[in-house]
Amino acid sequence: MEQRLANTWRMTVNEKKFIESALLSGLRVDGRNVYDYRKLSINFGKEDGSAEVHLGQTRVMGFVTSQLVQPYRDRPNEGSLSIFTEFSPMADPSFEPGRPGEFAVELGRVIDRGLRESRAVDTESLCILAGKLVWAIRIDIHILDNGGNLVDAANVAALAALLTFRRPECSLGGENGQEVIVHPPEAREPLPLIIHHLPIAVTFAFFSDESTLVVDPTHQEEAVMAGRMTATLNTNGDICAIQKAGGEGVPQSVIMHCLRIAATKAADITVKIRDTVEAYNTERALRKIKRHSAPVALDVSGTGPNDWSCLWQSNIWTSY
Amino acid sequence: MKAGKLRFSKPNKYWVESSQKRYVPRVDDTVLGIVVDTKADNFLVDIKGPALAFLPVLAFEGGTRRNRPKFEQGTLLYARVAKANPGTNPELSCTDASGKAAEFGPLKDGYSFECSTGLSRMLLSSPTCPVLEEFGKKLSFEIAVGLNGRVWVNAASPSTIIVVSNAIMKSESLSGVQQRIMVQKLLDRIQ
Repeated sequence: MEQRLANTWRMTVNEKKFIESALLSGLRVDGRNVYDYRKLSINFGKEDGSAEVHLGQTRVMGFVTSQLVQPYRDRPNEGSLSIFTEFSPMADPSFEPGRPGEFAVELGRVIDRGLRESRAVDTESLCILAGKLVWAIRIDIHILDNGGNLVDAANVAALAALLTFRRPECSLGGENGQEVIVHPPEAREPLPLIIHHLPIAVTFAFFSDESTLVVDPTHQEEAVMAGRMTATLNTNGDICAIQKAGGEGVPQSVIMHCLRIAATKAADITVKIRDTVEAYNTERALRKIKRHSAPVALDVSGTGPNDWSCLWQSNIWTSY
Repeated sequence: MKAGKLRFSKPNKYWVESSQKRYVPRVDDTVLGIVVDTKADNFLVDIKGPALAFLPVLAFEGGTRRNRPKFEQGTLLYARVAKANPGTNPELSCTDASGKAAEFGPLKDGYSFECSTGLSRMLLSSPTCPVLEEFGKKLSFEIAVGLNGRVWVNAASPSTIIVVSNAIMKSESLSGVQQRIMVQKLLDRIQ
């Protein structure tokens, strides 16, 4: 109990008052403008479908896996998408291991709504055998460091992971075409998911003074804010989801203003995601090409069943 | 023994300088603490150590049972570590050894942030740390540094406070010359 008391993160009265008073003059404590995002960087892991996002000091990792399952009864032609969040206790002293807290569930729901309701991921293409076998896509989001604005960072991580994920190719075989053969990645190149558009979440924080709002709040700003709103939209101008759970009441004009700002921010972030994913795909394709080694003279006099093996060993064959 | 840089000063002094985010209380260190709770005889103060510190209600200049100070939760205090034994809660005091106030006590307004112990030692070193010296030539501000890794900055305008705080936070890994260059660039930008 004492240990827990000693380890909690605390804010001084000076900090709280200063953050609010600086915002009255449009200044943010880290020197950003009111509508600026922090530096966003996306890194990919060795496996397809893993992405780590750094948004300032916030770090989130997204991981996509797939599994063949039976479809839901009322949707026999569609695959499924599910999101799991894990708030690691190393991210923040207030995160407890074990069951996800209220905020963890809310974060999962916001990202899920953004992807599912807007039909960003094409679930019909995930169907292999109608009514029998479909792909279930599972997105795991791990929060590694809480520097504020987890929703936006986790959303970018989920999208980056989905864009780089590859599922094994399947074909129907067997006697009556009902058997499903899953091809290993070495035999047939795995396929990307079909993603129609990218729903980007943009979070706003409201403060007790009516006219102050900021985009992409830091951890300190979140501790001082009076209310928060997340708008998920894409570059086509569609609003995929809006989340405003509790907090200060906000007039309609402010909400419209926020949506307009969110549209510009979503465009920037989409460009950033697409550029990094394209760079990753290029690099991935280059890795697949095995280069010719120097030609080696070999004995092909045909001394039995082993004569093809010496051709394999000298790397004369290339694979793409 | 903690890992760190090996330092040497002539003729025969070697020591290891380490920098952590957590603070290990030592007697006579000046620290910045946050008031967590008020008990009958003590204030419970968080000094970023393994345990909360006690600040006796009487450890102020002219402190008697009649005029006890009242601090709300979250007040930032500049205090001195009076007792620090491993395994027990450390004790603080808001007076110097002779019983005078000497700048100890609550800090009002301004902005506080956390840093590593190495950075706070650098800010308190003499001759003056290059970041503070360069800023001092052009801006006027006041600063309180706790050896436990907390810093408080106050100035007349919020933009000064923000510039100074961010520069300090970034200056831990920079050499003296790099610090001066960074400060010059920041000052050119705001003027």
